[in-house]
Amino acid sequence: MAQIFDRGSNALARASLVLTGLIVIALGVTLNELQRSPWVTRQGQRPDQPVPFSHKHHVQGLGVQCQYCHVTAETSSYAGIPPTKTCINCHAQIWTNAQLLEPVRQSWATGQSLPWIKVHDLPDYVYFSHEIHVNKGIGCASCHGRVDQMPLMYAQNTLQMEWCLDCHRNPAKNLRPTSEIYNMAWEAPASDRPVWCAVGDEKSGLPTAQSVNCVTKEPGVEVASLGMPAGGAVPEAKYEKFTSQDELGHFLVDHYKIRTPNELASCEVCHR
Amino acid sequence: MSGDEMKGQSGTEALAFDDGVGRISEEHTSGAKAHADSFGIDAGVKTPAYEPGVATTAEPMTLVQIRQELKGVKGKRYWRSVDELANTPEFQAAVEKEFPGSPHAWGDEVSRRGFLKFMGASAALAGLAGCTKQPDEPIYPYIKAPEDLILGKPMYFATAHPFVTGAVPLLVKTDQFRPIKIDGNPEHPYNQGSSDPFTQATLLDLYDPDRSQHVTYRGENREWAEFAVELRNKVISTKDGTGIYFLSETITSPTLARQWREVQAKYPNAKLIQYDPAIAGTWPFRATQYSLADADVIVSLDADFLSGASFPGFHKMVREYAARRKSPETLNRLYSIESTPTTTGLKAEHRLGLRASEIPAFTAGLAKAVGVPGVEAPAYAWTDEQKKFLAAVARDLKAHAGRSVVIPGLYQDASVELLALAINNTLGNADKTVIHGQEVVDSLLRQWSSIEALVADLNADKVDWLVILHANPIYTAPADLYFASAFDKAKTVAHLGSHLDETGQISHWHIPSAHFLESWSDARAYDGTASIIQPMIDPLYGGKTAHHFFQALLDEPGLSPYEAVRETWKPVIKGDFETGWRKALHAGWIEGTSFAPNELVPEKMPGILRAPAPSSKDALEIIFRPDPNVYDGRWSNVGWLQELPKPVTNLSWDNAALVSGATLTKYGLEEDDIVELTVQGRKVNAPVIVVPGHPDNSVTVHLGYGRSFAGRVGSGAGFNAYLIRTSDAPFYAVGSMKKVEGKWGLAVTKSHFQDHRPKLFGGQGNGNNSLEADEAISERGIIRYATLDEYKADPGFANEGETHTTTDKSNTLFPNWEYKDNAWGMSIDMNSCTGCNACIIGCYAENNIAVVGKQQVRIGRNMQWLRIDTYFEGDLAAPRAHFQPMACQHCENAPCEQVCPVGATVHTPEGLNAMVYNRCVGTRYCSNNCPYKVRRFNFLLYSDFETESLKLMRNPDVTVRSRGVMEKCSYCLQRISAAKIEADKENRAIRDGEVVTACQQACPAQAISFGNINDKQSKVAKLQADERSYQVLADLNTRPRTKYVAAVLNLNPELQAGPVEHPAKG
Repeated sequence: MAQIFDRGSNALARASLVLTGLIVIALGVTLNELQRSPWVTRQGQRPDQPVPFSHKHHVQGLGVQCQYCHVTAETSSYAGIPPTKTCINCHAQIWTNAQLLEPVRQSWATGQSLPWIKVHDLPDYVYFSHEIHVNKGIGCASCHGRVDQMPLMYAQNTLQMEWCLDCHRNPAKNLRPTSEIYNMAWEAPASDRPVWCAVGDEKSGLPTAQSVNCVTKEPGVEVASLGMPAGGAVPEAKYEKFTSQDELGHFLVDHYKIRTPNELASCEVCHR
Repeated sequence: MSGDEMKGQSGTEALAFDDGVGRISEEHTSGAKAHADSFGIDAGVKTPAYEPGVATTAEPMTLVQIRQELKGVKGKRYWRSVDELANTPEFQAAVEKEFPGSPHAWGDEVSRRGFLKFMGASAALAGLAGCTKQPDEPIYPYIKAPEDLILGKPMYFATAHPFVTGAVPLLVKTDQFRPIKIDGNPEHPYNQGSSDPFTQATLLDLYDPDRSQHVTYRGENREWAEFAVELRNKVISTKDGTGIYFLSETITSPTLARQWREVQAKYPNAKLIQYDPAIAGTWPFRATQYSLADADVIVSLDADFLSGASFPGFHKMVREYAARRKSPETLNRLYSIESTPTTTGLKAEHRLGLRASEIPAFTAGLAKAVGVPGVEAPAYAWTDEQKKFLAAVARDLKAHAGRSVVIPGLYQDASVELLALAINNTLGNADKTVIHGQEVVDSLLRQWSSIEALVADLNADKVDWLVILHANPIYTAPADLYFASAFDKAKTVAHLGSHLDETGQISHWHIPSAHFLESWSDARAYDGTASIIQPMIDPLYGGKTAHHFFQALLDEPGLSPYEAVRETWKPVIKGDFETGWRKALHAGWIEGTSFAPNELVPEKMPGILRAPAPSSKDALEIIFRPDPNVYDGRWSNVGWLQELPKPVTNLSWDNAALVSGATLTKYGLEEDDIVELTVQGRKVNAPVIVVPGHPDNSVTVHLGYGRSFAGRVGSGAGFNAYLIRTSDAPFYAVGSMKKVEGKWGLAVTKSHFQDHRPKLFGGQGNGNNSLEADEAISERGIIRYATLDEYKADPGFANEGETHTTTDKSNTLFPNWEYKDNAWGMSIDMNSCTGCNACIIGCYAENNIAVVGKQQVRIGRNMQWLRIDTYFEGDLAAPRAHFQPMACQHCENAPCEQVCPVGATVHTPEGLNAMVYNRCVGTRYCSNNCPYKVRRFNFLLYSDFETESLKLMRNPDVTVRSRGVMEKCSYCLQRISAAKIEADKENRAIRDGEVVTACQQACPAQAISFGNINDKQSKVAKLQADERSYQVLADLNTRPRTKYVAAVLNLNPELQAGPVEHPAKG
């Protein structure tokens, strides 16, 4: 019987083994990249919305504050999507005939909701709460990016678990004074951009999150320039100066009583 | 395995019990066997080859042997099912696996090749699934946002659940105005936040997809207005209402009663018949109320006041009963004389099982012994044991005159109520433990005669229009009235009901009714306090209420129920009406409406108190009781209640003929056999089941099953006991029973979720008992209790002989956790728990638990996160029982965590064992390694992801689990998280009592406490530090976070000698 395979097949067999290995590795790498890619995460994508609403125009241009529309960001797990009424508050007066706003007027007239597409869409098994993040010093822009510079809304971040954990394992790097939560342009303190913070109320020995006061201008100078009476009725708070996010972050972790990374990264915090 | 085979094994006298466990359908059995064969294992249940310590030769025992076995045992000995005692092959098979029956979802054999093929495919799919994109999700915002609504935060509204034994005041949790959880109103004086299985389950009733959705006339869709006009015109045309009949459930709403009075004033010849099959003809309970707070001795005469809302005043009575049992210093003593085993009887210090007809005579004897004048007790051959019991109870009652109470049963002869009243009066209990109030529902006694009169009028062609309001007489009417044939004589029948039920099917008009969570009404609680029932949600299907019907006949036919209710209370609410009204809505009740205690009216008492003589000792009595789960059948289509194992029997999805072991032997039956029950020539086939402690020559059947048009859940479950229930003997009748061919296939969960260990690993090793029962006997004691004397001699009895120190943490290979901040723990008071099941239904609603269906329950796959284990003790004929709620123990050194290959069950920094569903791949190692058997696996896709109405019901804070995922009690993690966020926002610690678990909230006995055990001032920490607190299976070094408080029984020294063999039973 003649041989089916000639000697050359040996090399082919060896090569195919190596090739198989390479294909498996390549497949792994591809899948790994793929599941982090914007195609899957939708990072940076701008879905078709019923109205091409511009955050840039409303926030940067008109100075509308975040909570004017997202009313429950501080009090609930959802930040809240504004009802049609919120749009109509202004657009009953201005741009009343704009073609772009036709769906809004339709919604107002018919009582049908505007069907927005969710841009920041966490999987259903993730129980995320806006209120605790906002109350504990995570600014809107930390997760949503510079919304004030987005003509059309998109997700700045992947919102994947590794991204969440990145902060939960070291929250100090993203904490900011609660007074700056809605400040889109907030930048971490640096040596040329220091921040002064003081703990407001130590009566109970337990400072509350809201009682840490931070300012970006040197407090003493400010007081003097305003001509406030020194040593008057207002007790002088002890301001500490911070020149890096690390210092500020750790100060805030202490005073906001942020839970330990071990606790924050535990499964049951987000999944139940 | 067939019954014949078993008989062959142990002789002709052999009694093989079979509660259906482990037995699966023919195909499954053969499939499992074939499967096992292919691996070279003999899957036959007779010889479990792979269990080294199991006595493979163990044979099923006869009843005589069981008794012998029980007699020989000194000290405490516990068992959970008769199967366990008899050591049937089914029982052995059940305990060998953590999930009884075949764990294989596939009926056919899976070959190695096929397995690889499937695995290859699933691996590839798993890889791909990781890359699938989420679909675009739309957001539909409001047009105008409702005021006060914070999306994502629940809102609570006060209302009440109208029920025939008294409304249950509620505080309903709504998410975006969808009711998602029902609980008692914590501020209401009557129930103080507690609820019961019925009330909890009305939530699923609201979202039942089988509710009727359209007004129909002869099957065609119509409008409500058409019907209302037709009804109104018809009634007007009669001028005085002649020929107009209303058949309603018992009217408990003051507004509805007022509307009816107005209708009657206008149309004096219109008739209203009230009929509630389960409770018709019982004593007018609201005239007499019981206050157990000051009762040292409680005697129940067939009164099942501890097991559910079927008994009027349940919530208050359980609370007061249990409050006295929290501390051994304040113990009361409960005697129960009952005709069918209930949790009340099994909870009692001393229990006497009597046939239903013996109880009036016994009561008369008791009255005589207590010294009630003018009592004629019928002569009866009482046994020595019964005489002794009677004498002891009488002496104890007299010794506690003024601090005792005798409670008559609802379903007993009227003489029992009168005699109990007389005993209470003689003892001076009136106005102390017995309070006489106004009688509000006075129609109950007359309900039988009025439905008889209705049938007579129907047959006499007097009925033009029959309007049926929330009643289902075709199904529930007494069999001797032949209601269905009389029904055809009515010219037009209109039916208001939530379902197109047996009556709705054949009525001309059908109007869908609005659920109480969808409508305005009012109701009175047991103590008389009136509550406004306010809607939580618009009627899902445009339902109407009885208010609409009566109002349609009045001068203002368009007046809404809302306005009608306001009108009723305008004269009652004092001060500014709007303020008072809003206050009543907010608080959940109207101030100052509770009953004022009245003086007892002595004229009510006849001069001579007589009791009917018992039926002959050989006569077979058939007792009719409303079902503990579906009541009279109104909740047949509520899956939670169908699947809930009934108290005492642990039977789910069916009703059965409950008999004693001796009666079973006498009739030559085995459990699960089908018997034919005959009463006055009417017959029904029923499966038979043994209940320890059931009186001999007596059969209990529960009403509410055998429905033909209940819906997708309830239709076809069980047998219809109404078929043999007649109007002259609605609660017990003399009948007969005989065996017919076949097996029923009951789903009993008693032997589920037990672990079985050979001697080598710490079990008793004789193979006769489950691990739990083995250890309940030994000093490891799962059940620990003491008599009051034992407790006084040794207050630390619960931890006596505990070889394992719970504080020693060095005894493990695994690193110990440190709990710095919160450490969640639970304490369950075994002395308070009455086994009423309210917690289980509360857990269903809170945690989105799936209903699996009867076949899946039969093979041990019910998904309840919480179960109540019933441990019987002592004589088969006169047992004592202990109820132990068992859910995840949240071990600090958890065996489940150590074996999970994918880290899907993890320990949290606060000591919870959390399940990460997304990680779970379904190896079930965790369940295998769990000694408490509290993990539940989704073998199939049990959760309903499709039905729209059920989506509205889900708790949005809890994941709905899919197929292939393990789940278990999470200590209501979602509630902990919510409290944590609230506390963290305020930078404070979580306060004691801020986290309440769903089971704790529902519990009417307040047996469950939950909190932070690191906080030594917390209630749970104090309870866990109590010397009566013990951990279950602590010697496995699991360090469970749930601790049980051992029971202390306040036995009467006269009767203390322990359970005595009943001489008459053999």
